[in-house]
Amino acid sequence: MTLRAPSAGAGAGRNWALLALLALASLAMAAPLLWTLLLSLKSNGDLLRSTRSAFSPPYTLQNYSDILGHSAVFGWLLNSTIVSLAVTLGVLALSSLAGYGFARLRFPGRAVLFIVLLFGLAIPEQSVIIARHQMFSALNLHNTYRGLILPGLAAPFGVFLMTQYFRATPRELEEAATLDGASRFKIFWRILLPLSLPAQATLGIFTFLSTWNDYWWPLISATDSDMYTLTVGVASSQMNFAQTNGLGYLMAQAVFASAPILIVYVIFQRYIVAGVSRAAT
Amino acid sequence: MRRCGTTAGGGVGNLALRGVSKRFGSTVVLDDVSLEIGADEFLVVLGPSGCGKSTLLRAIAGLETIDAGEIEIDGARVDHLPPGKRGVAMVFQGYALYPHMTVRGNIAFGLKNIGTERAEIDRRIAAVARMLEIEHLLQRLPAELSGGQRQRVAIGRAIVKDPKVFMFDEPLSNLDAALRSRTRQEIANLHRRIRKAMIFVTHDQTEAMTLADRIVVMNQQRIEQVGTPLQVYREPATIFVATFIGSPAMNILPVTRAAGSGTLQWVRLADGTQIETTASEASLPGQGALRLGLRPESVRLCGLGDGQTKALVDFVEFLGDKTHVLLSLAGGDRLVALDGASCPVHAGESVGVLFDRAATHLFDAEGRNRGLTG
Amino acid sequence: MDSCEQTAAPSTRRTWAASKSEARSGLLFVAPYLIVFAVLLIYPLFSGIWLSLHKADLFGGSQFIGAQNYARLFRDPVFLTAVSNTLYFVLLTVPPLTLIGLGLALALNNRSRWSALLRGLFFSSSVLSVTIVTLIWRMVLIPDGGLIANLLTSIGRSPVAFLSDAHLALPAIAFTTIWWCIGLPMMLFLAALQQVPRDLYEAARLDNAGRWRMLASITLPSIRHTALVVVVIELILQFQLFGQAQIMTLGGPNNASLPMVLFIYQVGFQRWDIGYAAAASEILFGMILIAAMTQYFAARGRESR
Repeated sequence: MTLRAPSAGAGAGRNWALLALLALASLAMAAPLLWTLLLSLKSNGDLLRSTRSAFSPPYTLQNYSDILGHSAVFGWLLNSTIVSLAVTLGVLALSSLAGYGFARLRFPGRAVLFIVLLFGLAIPEQSVIIARHQMFSALNLHNTYRGLILPGLAAPFGVFLMTQYFRATPRELEEAATLDGASRFKIFWRILLPLSLPAQATLGIFTFLSTWNDYWWPLISATDSDMYTLTVGVASSQMNFAQTNGLGYLMAQAVFASAPILIVYVIFQRYIVAGVSRAAT
Repeated sequence: MRRCGTTAGGGVGNLALRGVSKRFGSTVVLDDVSLEIGADEFLVVLGPSGCGKSTLLRAIAGLETIDAGEIEIDGARVDHLPPGKRGVAMVFQGYALYPHMTVRGNIAFGLKNIGTERAEIDRRIAAVARMLEIEHLLQRLPAELSGGQRQRVAIGRAIVKDPKVFMFDEPLSNLDAALRSRTRQEIANLHRRIRKAMIFVTHDQTEAMTLADRIVVMNQQRIEQVGTPLQVYREPATIFVATFIGSPAMNILPVTRAAGSGTLQWVRLADGTQIETTASEASLPGQGALRLGLRPESVRLCGLGDGQTKALVDFVEFLGDKTHVLLSLAGGDRLVALDGASCPVHAGESVGVLFDRAATHLFDAEGRNRGLTG
Repeated sequence: MDSCEQTAAPSTRRTWAASKSEARSGLLFVAPYLIVFAVLLIYPLFSGIWLSLHKADLFGGSQFIGAQNYARLFRDPVFLTAVSNTLYFVLLTVPPLTLIGLGLALALNNRSRWSALLRGLFFSSSVLSVTIVTLIWRMVLIPDGGLIANLLTSIGRSPVAFLSDAHLALPAIAFTTIWWCIGLPMMLFLAALQQVPRDLYEAARLDNAGRWRMLASITLPSIRHTALVVVVIELILQFQLFGQAQIMTLGGPNNASLPMVLFIYQVGFQRWDIGYAAAASEILFGMILIAAMTQYFAARGRESR
């Protein structure tokens, strides 16, 4: 113990250095968020004189009530909600069905198809987006919900996740259900699907987040401002950023637009952590 | 009583396997298995890991297809039927309770699948719950139950379907020792009450000996012997059965043929000791090595001068009610003797050894017991 | 269960209807997804490669020109700038993301309330969309009244126009990106740290190992696999830099912050030179594959030695 005491002292010294580093990083992380919040609470007039006024009162909620009064934001919000929910539900349905098929049913070509899916995981969006855009033009799918939803259903990640999950559920349960006279679909519907709820939640939240935040595809597909998603809408409103005289309004819009996804994040936080853990190990 | 009596096939409500074989790729997992089980018989399939006993059970249940042979229940072929239509129920090793359903939901699932009416389902669940004393658990989820309670629910789920054959796949292996022996008695009681055919798979000889009307001993994908617990213990058909059943295991010593006196064959141990066996000279093969089987309880210790031979005590294991004495003979053979609690010998001593003639077994080169009559 | 049955089971187990009925329902279960997969991913992948061999425009006019698009790309100074910008950006982001992510995970891998709060803070930016992140950071970086400009003037320095300076634009975008993306590497490393068996540390303490010793000889070797995962994921992500550059600088000034994906977007969706854009996207695809594979096999090789 006497031997260890000095090194513990040095460790405590290093601790302070580490803590200082951590505090600095936290500050760098939080400062832009707080800055945005402060700006959103200032009147546009104050900010036009000097943004430095953001550090001192008076603060106002005027920008937020302006958004509530008349804003395209609600339309974008609705579009984002419809598209994200539809993609999420679609991915859950397709992935669960296919995951069960790949994990538990034997059919010709199963192994080869699964390897093709694994390769599919490696295809980045930009290598298909041009041809996909051409295809959707030909099918008149641009500026429609279908056009925004369909590409989100193609990613093989969900199938991969659900296959792994179903493979890990005990086979005995399905055998017991078989002996109980349940059909194959009934085993899927009444036994495996309820058991996979944690995985469904993880997959669902990741799909929802990535669809909600998707930028490139909605940018080129939804060119009518009526069909903008929130992400594209917020981008369009900051295009004339340098000339804007509604700085506070713009920042309030940023806060307002982040609110839904932050709420979703807080509610489903533990499924995000669970999903990341599964990916890491 | 019914121990041997009801084993013959042909009656209503029995199960028959004829020449059942199964392979996974090039690996044989069941090799020409034939078996008949009476309508109210408790059959235990006993064997070491990998012997094919679980596969046998799963083949009867329909969870595995078979490549050859027939399975009949109640005189009707079932080997082409799906598991749910065979009239069998199974209690799995891990119980396989549906974790998201209540106990009631678990028990009702099978009945709902065959379209049983609600009132009938309620009535049957009530009866089963009363019988197994799980009425207070019906609204709970499996995760909220103890191991023993889960076991009862798994049994309840089987009983409620009123199957022709009950199957148990090592159902006690997940329980602790005390609960295991209590559950064993409960299963025996259950069988006494509902009197249905039960097939119980285990690798534990105590379970087999205590529960079975008949024991099927399996090894290397084949049946070695079928018989009552007494038969497989007293008259093991093969050297495998002889050594697998009984603890400590039967001593097996290489012997050579000595004088034959009509019905009784004498053999000679490596140290020259001659021992009388129950095998007749005529029953023995002309050629090949012979091995002598001696249960530890039929090897007795005595004073140095009084024995058939003498041995050196290597080791003494005092177990309380009994003592294992590990001996080595002059010829290099080693064997175990089972002695009374107050065995006075110590490691390093020399003792006299007596062999109980009536309890000797003589095995031929193929491992078959040549001392059995009939 | 019997051991031989367990080992034989996964590959060859047959149930009562291993036959046609199982195959039929198996195909039924996977068919809906496979159709979507084939139509929306596989077809566009190959049709993109096919497109890259054509001179194609918005109006469907298309003419096979072989590898000419590719030849043109290698002579196009703007494209070559975009390639080097992309590589520079990857270099600016991937190592810091990995190292800072690891550092944060090590610092926050405990049960205290503060750590939980900070983990939430560092991950929170990851759930924001790129357009909100850029909006926030433009207001931080802008020389006229931005957060950094305010800080600089308050200590008597003059503001810096990060986004219109050819040398600072890409690093500024990189910094923004690190701020935005740091949550995922941190969480991946945290998850991996949770998996390191506690008794290893206890054994090391009995062997008088100090804090750095334990870090070097237990923690880091145990999370090597995760480090590889993080690097590969971030490589793939950061090669595809698009939104930040498109919104914050439009690739400027003078293409100093033009990444490959923005080049593809401008060529394909603003100049409608679709075949040319497709060719550029195939080259990017190839670069990502090579980078990820190199990392993967390099790590493999090191592990096997």
